[in-house]
Amino acid sequence: MPAPPPLFLDPDLARFITGGVSINAGSGSAEGLPSLCLAFGCRVDSGTNRLTLFFAAPQAVDLVRDATRSGALAVVFSEPSTHRTLQIKGGDARLAPLGEGDLACVEAYRAAFAQCLVFLGFTEVMVRTLLDCPDEALVALTFTPSALFNVTPGAQAGAPLIPTPPRAPGAA
Amino acid sequence: MIPVRALRDCLDGIIPGVVSTCAADGTPNVAYMSQGQYLDDQHLALSYQFFNRTRQNLLANPRVTLGLIHPQTAQQYRLHLVYERTETHGPVFESMKAKLAGIASHTGMSGVFRLLGSDIYRIEGSEGVPGSTLPAPTPAVDPLLALRTCMARLPLSPDAESLLDALLDGLQAHFAIEHALVMMLDPGRGQLYTVASRGYPTSGVGSELPVGDGVIGVAARERVPIRISHVTSEYAYGLAMREGAERQGLGDRLETEIPFPGLAAPGSQLAVPIPGAHDPLGVLFVESPTEMRFTHADEDALVALATQVGGLFRLFLAELELGEEGQPASAREPRPDGVPLRVRHYAANDSVFLGDDYLIKGVAGNILWTLLQDHQALGRTQFSNRELRADPRVRLPDQSDNLEARLVLLHRRLAERRACVQLEKTGRGRFRLLVARPLELEDMDPGT
Repeated sequence: MPAPPPLFLDPDLARFITGGVSINAGSGSAEGLPSLCLAFGCRVDSGTNRLTLFFAAPQAVDLVRDATRSGALAVVFSEPSTHRTLQIKGGDARLAPLGEGDLACVEAYRAAFAQCLVFLGFTEVMVRTLLDCPDEALVALTFTPSALFNVTPGAQAGAPLIPTPPRAPGAA
Repeated sequence: MIPVRALRDCLDGIIPGVVSTCAADGTPNVAYMSQGQYLDDQHLALSYQFFNRTRQNLLANPRVTLGLIHPQTAQQYRLHLVYERTETHGPVFESMKAKLAGIASHTGMSGVFRLLGSDIYRIEGSEGVPGSTLPAPTPAVDPLLALRTCMARLPLSPDAESLLDALLDGLQAHFAIEHALVMMLDPGRGQLYTVASRGYPTSGVGSELPVGDGVIGVAARERVPIRISHVTSEYAYGLAMREGAERQGLGDRLETEIPFPGLAAPGSQLAVPIPGAHDPLGVLFVESPTEMRFTHADEDALVALATQVGGLFRLFLAELELGEEGQPASAREPRPDGVPLRVRHYAANDSVFLGDDYLIKGVAGNILWTLLQDHQALGRTQFSNRELRADPRVRLPDQSDNLEARLVLLHRRLAERRACVQLEKTGRGRFRLLVARPLELEDMDPGT
């Protein structure tokens, strides 16, 4: 099956998924057993348009195994204060070494997510504990977005998001 | 396996769970789940709110991985589940519906979060996710110790009324629950009536609520405890009752309504049915202005207490059936002097008015009217529960009726109103009618 064309993330979406949102990624085994892991941040490579997600390796054993086997990855990004929720799927997930700036990206994510949840009444120490992981135990999965869905709760949930520029040829 | 206590804390909706599924072609999908409910060691229920990709996947591949985060310790868990069925009515559904309304309101999603069903899953396995955690906070009250202390006192109560006092006093002293009440079921009329309360400006004894209305009414109808951590107007019965009455143009009938005593702005509520042989005997209800006040452990403890109260109530009823204590011979009491008080009885709803003041209605109203008739005609002051049960004028809905609770209600209403008529207990299943001034009995619509 030919790979679907990559989707372009507009600046608003890119800002959203790299901000203080909760991030969970899923994949599945060959037998159809779903896997799941909480991510510790997301980076968008503006050149390749690929997304990179960070995980604590001991927590992500099943996810990494499944995602690297099939390439299939689904990631939800949700802003707790507004429930705005986006799901991005891809078919070419693979492990990537952590690059320069990635540790800073994870640390920035911890601060942003903690700030968001403290606003909702959680303690910062609780959020920091949840996102705690030694630097050396972080792993990264990278993939090209091939489908985007608005999954904010409500009647419109599940609607595919057609990103603006560049439009697919012939799109209405 | 994940400890049950932790699982239940995680499922409360404080931090939404995350559901991972796979389509038939293996494409994964991840979604948030508002609320779950622990059912037993092998089953839990998750809220089904939208027909979405998760739903489509479930129907094709019933396997689910559920991610949970403990709201206090930050411990993550993963549960491997298999979807079994969806329930759209019954105790699990109603309990989840009430809770979801609270979660929706708390998170600004009222009108968006609506429970379409309770999805029942089998738990195939579970694991703690490695990571840093915080120590679990120590609760201010140890519910097991509080339960033990309360339970030790309840069987010492000689009758239904002191049992209810012991229960509510115990909740206050040992559970630090400041606002509580007990409502009993009137199965014939499908109503619950308040017999005892603590922590409100007025006791509300005699106030009524239809079975099925609000947290208390749903708990009675479904025979299931309902615990809400964020109370919404949808289930705030006090307000709903008043508005409902106004909508139906019943405003003029409210003169015989005793106001429900509940908090004006509750944060948390917990309603626990008091089990009977068939129908529940009533509902124990507690509330707090603070959100997330009542824990699963509180719910467990109150269910245990309500079970004991139900058993003791039934014991009192059985003892009354078996026999009565000997009645001391009493001299015929002198008739009181003074200006007579007009007492009216309306047969349409068995309401009784002392002078212009509404006192009570229903079976309790009928009991009082029967006692007053016998007092007036025969000069009687001594009565037994057993004879009342058999008296056709009382018109009990059935032989298993909780007459004790109706007498508690009548006793309390008379005492609260400082009425010129009072009831005084003289022994197990016996009481005396005290009449402080002459009465003129007037049946307003006899023969109906």
